[in-house]
Amino acid sequence: MDLGFDRRAALDGINAIWPLMIPGIPVGLVVGLLVTERGVPSFLGYSTSWVIFAGSSQLAAVELIADNASALVIILTVFFINARHIIYSAALRERFSIYPTWVRVMAPYLLTDQQFAVAETVPELVDPTPRYRLWHFLGAGIFMWSVWQLSVIAGILVGDFVRDEWQLIFTVPILFLGLMILSIKNQAGVAAAIVGGTTALLGRDLPSGSGLLLAIFVGMAVGALFEQRMEASA
Amino acid sequence: MNWIAVVIAGLATWASRVSFIVLGDRVSLPPIAESALRYVGPAAFAAISIPIVLGGDAFANFDDDVPRIIAASLACFVVWKSRNIPLSLVTGMGTLWLLIWVL
Repeated sequence: MDLGFDRRAALDGINAIWPLMIPGIPVGLVVGLLVTERGVPSFLGYSTSWVIFAGSSQLAAVELIADNASALVIILTVFFINARHIIYSAALRERFSIYPTWVRVMAPYLLTDQQFAVAETVPELVDPTPRYRLWHFLGAGIFMWSVWQLSVIAGILVGDFVRDEWQLIFTVPILFLGLMILSIKNQAGVAAAIVGGTTALLGRDLPSGSGLLLAIFVGMAVGALFEQRMEASA
Repeated sequence: MNWIAVVIAGLATWASRVSFIVLGDRVSLPPIAESALRYVGPAAFAAISIPIVLGGDAFANFDDDVPRIIAASLACFVVWKSRNIPLSLVTGMGTLWLLIWVL
């Protein structure tokens, strides 16, 4: 299988992810700012960005390191916050099944919420060949990764030039609300979103992101049950 | 110790991302699970966004709910009609800033 670099595919991937990456910039700045404010060693704090590479779990990890939490608490908290990636992985597994094992081991390092959203919301790729699809994924993922690294570094170095009253972090829920709407394709999707959102709201004080995980499961289950009912009545 | 924790946390995150993708078609899921996986998008994106708009969260604590709810609703309407994420970001932030300035 020819999987050599495909420039057009990589550029199309960048083009698909850049709007989704914009809210990542203020979040990256906040992660960097937190590293400085909480007195976590800069290189250790920054390194969460390439070792873990997942925003909300990095915020938790930096907080926990600053609070002198035990290694076990740090590891389990990050794992729980990021466990939704197991679900993304399950949803994408068929698309990746055509690739050699080394691709399936390496490429998912770049799998973020936004990367999953690109796979979910970009309707049909221009060119469905395995080579194009792979480089579309890698182009989007490497671009996202690079911007994230720079945002966190900028947050560490120059800190609070993002002023609170601009509320730039609010781009995060606006982005994900938009992705929610773009990913709804039928009534079952509406049900999944309403139930998932409500469960997350009610469970937001549960520890270590378990409310989010629970909400995703409940929302998915309701979507599936709703789909069965639609099929039964059709 | 903190380095070890970060590295293991990173490996655990990567393992989550790799998990099903590396198994590929060696695993087959029951139909109900396949059906549920079609709703990851709506469920996950709602679960990420709704608590931030309505409840505040780890990222930020906003002290006034009303401008955020209006701005988010308008942004939702725009993306629903236009299917355009950048436009919804501009609408949402523009509305928020306008409301904060006016109120």
